[in-house]
Amino acid sequence: MPSKAEDILSGFRVNWMSLREVDTGKLLWQNSDDLSQPDVEHEARVPKSILNCRAVSREINFSSIEPLENFRLEQKVLFKGRALEEWTFDFGFVIPNSTNTWQSIIEAAPESQMMPAQILNGNVTIETKFYDDTLLVSTSLVRLFYV
Amino acid sequence: MGLLALLRKLRASSEQELRILLLGLDNAGKTTLLKHLANEDVTHITPTQGFNIKSVQSSGFKLNVWDIGGQRKIRPYWRNYFENTDVLIYVIDSSDRKRFDETAEELSELLNEEKLDGVPLLVFANKQDLLGAATPSELALGLALQTIKDRGWQIQACCACSGEGVQDGMNWICQTIKKK
Repeated sequence: MPSKAEDILSGFRVNWMSLREVDTGKLLWQNSDDLSQPDVEHEARVPKSILNCRAVSREINFSSIEPLENFRLEQKVLFKGRALEEWTFDFGFVIPNSTNTWQSIIEAAPESQMMPAQILNGNVTIETKFYDDTLLVSTSLVRLFYV
Repeated sequence: MGLLALLRKLRASSEQELRILLLGLDNAGKTTLLKHLANEDVTHITPTQGFNIKSVQSSGFKLNVWDIGGQRKIRPYWRNYFENTDVLIYVIDSSDRKRFDETAEELSELLNEEKLDGVPLLVFANKQDLLGAATPSELALGLALQTIKDRGWQIQACCACSGEGVQDGMNWICQTIKKK
């Protein structure tokens, strides 16, 4: 008999992720590979102009066959492995056989200064970890390239 | 007004985190409304099979809007998302007269929920652009909104596709939250 954890893991899937400019709603990048595959680092090539956007949204679409009682997510934006930005979100309940999206928008502080594209290029990763309570359900890792 | 603008207006209020719940029957236009608030394209929207959440953060202040699918089989799960709600938005397809009774019934059940006690209610009378759409006053009568005494409420005509009327509703939310 598979355990409950195995059922949850096998029934969970990250369908797509995207990056979007908030002011215009323009899609900058979208990926529909199975991002929940462990140990696979995905690459996002985004226009350099994203660095001048006041606010960029990150969106994740995921499905779960099993109900989750206490679903939560931890997302970090890392520069050379060090966290620049961190976001946690508690979803609570996830409906069985559901497909859901979560979009986060962070507005940059006006005084904050963005590092230049050539320094950031290839050194920034977005790491998203999904948990049901304490059980790690999935991790997705996307490395950003500014082109 | 997009979500960022709403957040900026609300920043002065005391709470650090706000939760807005968006409910209504399937095909009422909840997801379209939410997308409109984020300036996104509203031409390809499919029925929501779970939830859509938008989280906005600025200067340490957070706004979370929860749009939960309205299909009959999903409605029993709505109650899982009631806790800590600051504002309830209820969306109605004003042209779907065949389902006015059904939507009135769902709303009255929501208003009887203990966890939503006293939570301000904004009803969006959506799809005003469609032929035969009921007016907000006609809907208010059918929903018996005037009998609501235990919370602030408002009904707002809108068209989520074009965004008409959405701003007025968001302004009401701003004022209501600031008064709390």
